[in-house]
Amino acid sequence: MEWYKIVSLVALAVCLVSLAVHFIRLIRLGNPVDFSVKSGDTAKAVAYSFSGAMSPKKKESAYMHLPTYTAGLLYHIGTFISGAMFILLLSGVEFSAMLSLLFAAFLGITLIAGLLVLMKRLIKKELRSLSNPDDYISNILVTGVQILTAAVLLGISIDVVYYVWVAVLLLYLPVGKLRHAIYFFATRYHLGYYFGYRGTWPEKGHNKPSAA
Amino acid sequence: MTEESKKRKALEIISRKGNGRMISYLNSCVHCGLCAESCIFYLAGKDPRFIPARKVDIVASLYRRYNTMTGKLFPGLTGARELNDKTIEEMVDILYGSCTMCGRCTIHCSIGLDISEVVRLGRNMLSTMDLVPATLQSTVKAAIETGNNMAIPKEDLVDTIKWLEEDLQFELDDPKATIPLDEPGKKVIYTLNPREPKFFPLSISAMAKIFYLAGESWTLSTKMYDVTNYAYFSGNDIEAAEIVNRLADVTKELGAEKVVLAECGHGSRSFRWEGPNYIGMSYPFEVYTSVELLNDYIRSGRIKPDPSKNTRRVTLHDPCNLVRGGGIMREQREILEKCVSSFTEMNPFGNDNYCCGGGGGQLSMSEYNERRMGAGKIKADQIRATGAEIVVTPCHNCVDQLIQINQAYKLNVQIKTMAEIVADAL
Repeated sequence: MEWYKIVSLVALAVCLVSLAVHFIRLIRLGNPVDFSVKSGDTAKAVAYSFSGAMSPKKKESAYMHLPTYTAGLLYHIGTFISGAMFILLLSGVEFSAMLSLLFAAFLGITLIAGLLVLMKRLIKKELRSLSNPDDYISNILVTGVQILTAAVLLGISIDVVYYVWVAVLLLYLPVGKLRHAIYFFATRYHLGYYFGYRGTWPEKGHNKPSAA
Repeated sequence: MTEESKKRKALEIISRKGNGRMISYLNSCVHCGLCAESCIFYLAGKDPRFIPARKVDIVASLYRRYNTMTGKLFPGLTGARELNDKTIEEMVDILYGSCTMCGRCTIHCSIGLDISEVVRLGRNMLSTMDLVPATLQSTVKAAIETGNNMAIPKEDLVDTIKWLEEDLQFELDDPKATIPLDEPGKKVIYTLNPREPKFFPLSISAMAKIFYLAGESWTLSTKMYDVTNYAYFSGNDIEAAEIVNRLADVTKELGAEKVVLAECGHGSRSFRWEGPNYIGMSYPFEVYTSVELLNDYIRSGRIKPDPSKNTRRVTLHDPCNLVRGGGIMREQREILEKCVSSFTEMNPFGNDNYCCGGGGGQLSMSEYNERRMGAGKIKADQIRATGAEIVVTPCHNCVDQLIQINQAYKLNVQIKTMAEIVADAL
C-alpha cells in the first residue's frame, strides 16, 4: 500500500478513536438526573426532535432561510458521499465511467453549495462577527475534500494530494467544530428528551378556539 | 473571596464533567447564525451582539479555553476566550441585558441546542462571581430576606386579603365566601405573585371567586405565598433552592395535597420543573399550575362559564416559561374556548410565540429598559394585527410588560389574567 494511503488510514483510525471517546463519554453520562415529575412522552419527543421539529415547515432557521438550508443540506450530503467514496476508493473498489461521472457531477453541485456557505460567512457582517478561524478552516477542508473526490472520480491523477487532504481533515475533525458530527446527534437527542419530559414536544394538538 | 478564586469557582461550573446534556450544547454550535431572526432583541435593532449564537458562544468559548485541548493550546483557532474583565463585561451585557431566556431560538436552532439553558449557565457563572446586576439581585434579596420579592409586610397582605374577602362576600352574597389564610389540612395551597396584593388585587378576587364556585378546599399561606423565583433569572442555584424549599416546607407544614401555582410563567417553571432539581429531591405533593386547575374545573363541570359574558375580541399571549418551558399550551386555549365568544390567535402562537420582552428578569433590570421596550415592539405588532380588545395572559410578569407595551405603542387594549377572564364568564 502506498504511503499516502497508510497516512490516511492512520488518520481515519485516530479520528474514529477520538470520536468514539466523545461518543462513549456522552453515552455513559446518559440523561441528567431529573427529580421533577415527568409529564410527557420522551421517546416520541426524541423521534420528533429528529424529524418534524427539523422540517422546513417547523424550523424558522429553515423556512426563513431556504437557500441556506438547501445549500447546507446538499453540502452535508456531499460530505457523506465523499466519506463513503474515501472508504470505497481505499478499499480498491472501482466505479464505472458513468457512475463516476454521476457522483462527480453531484459533488460538483454540493461543493458549490459549500462554497456558497463559505461566501455567505465571508460577506455577511453578522456572520463574520460570529466566526473564528475554525469556521473557515472547517469549511475549506470539507469543501476541499469534495473537490478532490470529484477530481479523483473524473480520473485526474491527484492521489497524493487527495489522501493527504483527507488525512488532514480526519485529524482535524475531532478537535474543531466538525466534531458536531457527534454532538449534533447528542444535542438533538437531549433537546427532544428535555422537551418530551415536560410535554412541550411533540406539540399537543389543540382545538383552536373559533374566531368570530 | 478574592476575584481570582471567584473566577476559579465560575470556571468550575463549566468544567463539570457529569452533565452530558450541557457538554453536548457547549460543543455543538456551528455559528450558522440562522437563530438571529428568532430573537426579539436582534429583531428590534439588528444588532449582531444580540444574535443568540453569540450568547452561546461567549459561554462556549470559555468552555473551549479551559476544557478542550485545542482551546488550551491554540485558543485563537477556535475563538476560545479567557475569563477576563472584557469577557465578563460582555457576558453581563448580553446574557442579562439582551436575553429573556424565552427559548424561542432553541426551538428554531438548526442544531437544536438549548440556548436559554446555556444563557442560564452563563448567568450561573456570573452569579458565582457576584456579578448579578444590582437591580435584579435586589429583587432576589427581597425575596430571601422578607419572604416575597416586593417586601410586602405580612400585615399589609392580611389587610388586603381581608378587604378582598369582604368584597367577595358582597359580590357573592354569601358570608361563607372566604379567602382562607394559613389553614392546615386543606387540599390546595394557592400561591400569589406579590404583584397581585401590591398592584392587581382583583386577580386574587377572581381566583377566590373561582375556588368558591368550584367548592375547592384551599388556603393561602402568609408565611410563604410568593410564586416567583428571581434566582432562576439571576442564575444563583443556592438562592433558588432556598426559595423553593420555603414553599415546599410550608406546603408540608400545612399538610396540603397540592400546590397550585399562580399565573406566573417563570414561577411555575422554577418551582415545578427546576425546583426539585435545585433541592435534589422530588416533592411529596402534587404541583399544578392554575391554568391546568382552571381547565380541570371547566372540563369536570365544577364551574360553568358562559362565553356570552365575554363578547369583546380576545387574543392570548403565551408565556414562554409556561409554554416552551412547561409544556402547557392546550389548556389555556380550551379555557378560552369556554369563556369567550370571540378569539383570535396571534401569529405565530404557542411554541412559536414571541416573548413579550418582560421575562428573564428584564422587568427588574431598569438599566436595560430601553432595550426591553424596543424588543416589545414585536409583541405590540402581533397584538395590533389580531384586532383584539383584550389580551389574556396567564403570567403576571407578562401582564406588567404588556401594560407598558400597551401604553408605549398605543394599542388601546385591556390586559387580563386567565383567572380574571374566567371569573368574568361566571
